[in-house]
Amino acid sequence: MAGPEVSTPEITVLSLIMCFLLLAIPLVISYRIKLDIINSTASSVARMTSQLFLVGVLLTIVFDLNNWILNLVWVFGMVTMATYTTIRNVELKMERLFLPVIISFAITNLSVLLYFNEFVLDLENLLEARFLIPIGGMILGNSLRGNVVGMGEFYEDIRRNENRYLYNLSLGAKKYEALMPYIRKSLRSSLKPTLANISTAGVVFLPGMMTGQILGGVTPILAIKYQITIMIIIYVSTVMSTTFCILSTIRTAFDEYGLVRKEIYKRKK
Amino acid sequence: MMQDEIIRYEGVGMTYNSKKVLSGFNLSIKGGQKILLKGKSGAGKSTLFKMLLGFEKPTDGNLYYRNQPVDSSRVWEIRKEVAYVSQETDLGEGPVKVLLEEIFSYHPNLNKMDPQKLHILMQDFELEEDTLDKNYEDLSGGEKQRIGILIALMLGREIFLLDEATSALDSELKKKVAEYFLKHGEWTLFIISHDREWESENIRVVELKKQIGEGKQIGEGKQIRKGGI
Ligand SMILES: Nc1ncnc2c1ncn2[C@@H]1O[C@H](COP(=O)(O)OP(=O)(O)OP(=O)(O)O)[C@@H](O)[C@H]1O
Ligand SMILES: [Mg+2]
Repeated sequence: MAGPEVSTPEITVLSLIMCFLLLAIPLVISYRIKLDIINSTASSVARMTSQLFLVGVLLTIVFDLNNWILNLVWVFGMVTMATYTTIRNVELKMERLFLPVIISFAITNLSVLLYFNEFVLDLENLLEARFLIPIGGMILGNSLRGNVVGMGEFYEDIRRNENRYLYNLSLGAKKYEALMPYIRKSLRSSLKPTLANISTAGVVFLPGMMTGQILGGVTPILAIKYQITIMIIIYVSTVMSTTFCILSTIRTAFDEYGLVRKEIYKRKK
Repeated sequence: MMQDEIIRYEGVGMTYNSKKVLSGFNLSIKGGQKILLKGKSGAGKSTLFKMLLGFEKPTDGNLYYRNQPVDSSRVWEIRKEVAYVSQETDLGEGPVKVLLEEIFSYHPNLNKMDPQKLHILMQDFELEEDTLDKNYEDLSGGEKQRIGILIALMLGREIFLLDEATSALDSELKKKVAEYFLKHGEWTLFIISHDREWESENIRVVELKKQIGEGKQIGEGKQIRKGGI
């Protein structure tokens, strides 16, 4: 990705400090109108900074080694984190759901990722760290968001409108037939934000990845081509992983009578 | 065979979070019989229906359907053979027409949608034609109930579990619905209702006593015969 001869300005420690100074504004606002976000701002920013520094150091090592096993381990680490975060965010219990969710995440996201590396980027080495890891992270992060909405809404809806579901069972519907309206509804909600993002891309703001590439010296045309392909694979992997996650967790979350197992919920109704 | 036993409760009991709501309930229902189950609110009437459909599992006793224990594989058969009108009228949302389409797309109900029959039933139960285009959630309580009854009848099944199916109707409609069901001699009816309109010559009234105190059993499905069978 050799761009034109415009170098990216270095960010020095001083420049970082200059940036952190901006945080004084939210802190003053918080203080004046008692927003009570001083502590959470400080801890969020501290976490973000230390996490990113750590990732920066690790990535430097991983990119230098560029060992395919290590790269895959890294991706699986991300898959595990995404699974954990999803289940925790939808307030369901880990034990029963971890396996179906992690398998769904791994299969769907990895296959999209490898397809992209093989057929879109046409890479020599499909497991090249410089592509596998950042693109994998982007896909996973978005799948995660879709799944938190999709799975969360699905299981919350089943609990809230259990009467309707039971009524459909009483009419002779199979489990999946009776669940179909819930599956449809939750998938739609989970895809809505992604679709909105896609259709407004470039209108109001430049997507983060594209901004990064342009700052890194890539031409706008190449940057938008990357952005287009990335948005498409994000959409595809979100649809796939959310669908797979819901379908695969249904197998373990419902009993042989077709009833949802109350013990999967963290919170009592 | 009309006289085959369809449903049998044998010493059935239910305890929710260590609170006993039902115990030692016995009842046998044969093909073609009409049973009217009465009892105080909270006595466990709806629970008895839910057990049969596999929505609740009895904590005591046994439950049989056509002489076979109601277990996790049997309930799927029962759900194909029994028409259930639930006490809850929250059956879904969106246009009634779409709701019906979905219901009649389920495997056991395929080919059961008969527009002629639908039309006649709607007239019988005084539902306007345009009800089908309205959103189910916008219907009045009585209209929702009649749609529930209508669906149950459209399924073409012969065993009915009606849980307070007529509670929101006016007395003229209650009478019409009750007569409609009772005139079918071959139908097996298990009805929960406080409406007098159901009490007729050929219905058997079963009284369910409410559980009082902890674990004390106050009478079991005491049966009062009213006329026939
Ligand atoms: N899932 C449940 N968890 C805890 N308690 C329950 C549950 N379902 C029912 N109960 C309790 O069991 C008792 C019997 O409920 P049920 O719905 O069977 O009563 P019912 O006889 O149908 O009353 P009604 O005439 O008011 O409809 C009630 O006290 C109810 O609160
Ligand atoms: Mg009831």
